[in-house]
Amino acid sequence: MKPRYVVGEALSIARSGRRQTAMAVLLIALALYVPGLLVLISRNLARLAASEAEPVGVVVTLAPTADPHAVADRLATDRRIAKVRIVSSAAALERFRSAYPDLAAAISGLEEAPFPPSLEVMLAASAPVGSGRAIAGAARALPGVDSAESEEDFGRRFHDAVKLLRGAGIFLGAVLSIAAVLSVASAVRLALDLHREEIEIMRLMGATEAAIRAPFWLYASAEGLAGGGVALFLLYATYRTAAAWLARDPHPVIAVLWVRFLDLPTALLVPLAGLVAGFVGSVLSLGRRD
Amino acid sequence: MIQLFRVSKDYGRFRHALADVSCTIDRGEFVFLTGPSGAGKSTFLKLLFREESPSTGQIVVNGRNIGVLPPSQIPYFRRTVGVVFQDFKLIGRKTVFENVAFVQNVLGLPRAEQKRRAYHVLKRVGLHHQMNALPEELSGGEQQRVAIARAIVNEPTLLLADEPTGNLDPALSEEIMRLFAEINIRGTTVLVATHDIELIRRMGKRVLTLDRGHLREREMAREAPGLVREVPFLPLG
Repeated sequence: MKPRYVVGEALSIARSGRRQTAMAVLLIALALYVPGLLVLISRNLARLAASEAEPVGVVVTLAPTADPHAVADRLATDRRIAKVRIVSSAAALERFRSAYPDLAAAISGLEEAPFPPSLEVMLAASAPVGSGRAIAGAARALPGVDSAESEEDFGRRFHDAVKLLRGAGIFLGAVLSIAAVLSVASAVRLALDLHREEIEIMRLMGATEAAIRAPFWLYASAEGLAGGGVALFLLYATYRTAAAWLARDPHPVIAVLWVRFLDLPTALLVPLAGLVAGFVGSVLSLGRRD
Repeated sequence: MIQLFRVSKDYGRFRHALADVSCTIDRGEFVFLTGPSGAGKSTFLKLLFREESPSTGQIVVNGRNIGVLPPSQIPYFRRTVGVVFQDFKLIGRKTVFENVAFVQNVLGLPRAEQKRRAYHVLKRVGLHHQMNALPEELSGGEQQRVAIARAIVNEPTLLLADEPTGNLDPALSEEIMRLFAEINIRGTTVLVATHDIELIRRMGKRVLTLDRGHLREREMAREAPGLVREVPFLPLG
């Protein structure tokens, strides 16, 4: 059995039922789009969680005339502290503008810098629970410190919430992926049903099972690949549309979930998943003797 | 060529399609298989090209016991047998050439060789000018001739035909039978299942009759309707 025969037959099968092929590709695309969307959100959550790998344990607000380096050096001597980050007034203003661009105009006319300098204290991994509160209390006593608040509890809850969302996303993604494979199998079966009689004729004429099935496997895999490609296109279109909308009207929660599209290796998994699902669907549909 | 030894085919406990059938068909013979509807004609042919396997008994074709052929060998056996069906069984999405050259395409024969062989057999059936036509563009008689061309393109030693003229008018039926006769003259064993008694009388060939799964052999005098000599049933083989 030559490759030319297999490819030629697969093309002939696709041409003989163009509408059914198009519908199957669309169905596969929709079946892969939803888990793809979950993967996109999950990846951004992972990025968010990674960015929170250094969660802020304590925020120390300084007086405008305080020396940030001196306060930071005093705090850094505590073994429960892994790192101290200085956030200048200018840096704080820039963060505000990024998070709330529509409010930036409201403060642009102020003569004084609206945000005081601050220190962000990252706790050491070995720091016992409650260290944040203790360090905040000690920091309030230092000269040049206006206030100090513990973020430890909030940071832990946020991290746990992100992990929970990711877990739920992975579980839903797995369930939807199985549903996608079954949907693809159904779509492929619908397409193959058109050729049921033809398959029987080919058997009667002396075609081996491999010669009968191979073109259909190739056809279904190509269908799956095309469906996956369409799903990837729809995902990218969704991402760009949402990004454009968020740029005009930022949302404090959704904006952090929609930072970046899938990286290339992950993006290529979508059409690959379609190809695998199409192949598996055709194997399941053609069965032992069909 | 073909030998059946006490062959039976049952579908379930109560339906016996063939019952204890034994017969021999020699190489180069032209034989009609007749009988009323439900007599077992199609089952008889299905056993010969292994679409079915016998419940009991043995079937030997060209020295091979096809009843015990493993499934993997059946496609190769079928390539040595030409089969023609009442409903033509052409693949609608393939042209006449592609239908005729199908097996050779699977085997990877060079396209030029495929075309040469297909043209040769289509010329024999008078359809060499329709190589690029689709089956739906042909008449019933033309489709049946394409089916015959497909059946003989691999030069089989055995040609089976299941009611090949069932969907055709008398004139076309005569034409198809003439084709079969020509194929038989060239050495191919031909077995035609039909209930067209007039056709059988005109051809004057050997006749096997099935009646509720039992086989009888009859002789029919050529061009002498009414002069039918009954041959007593003799257990053969």
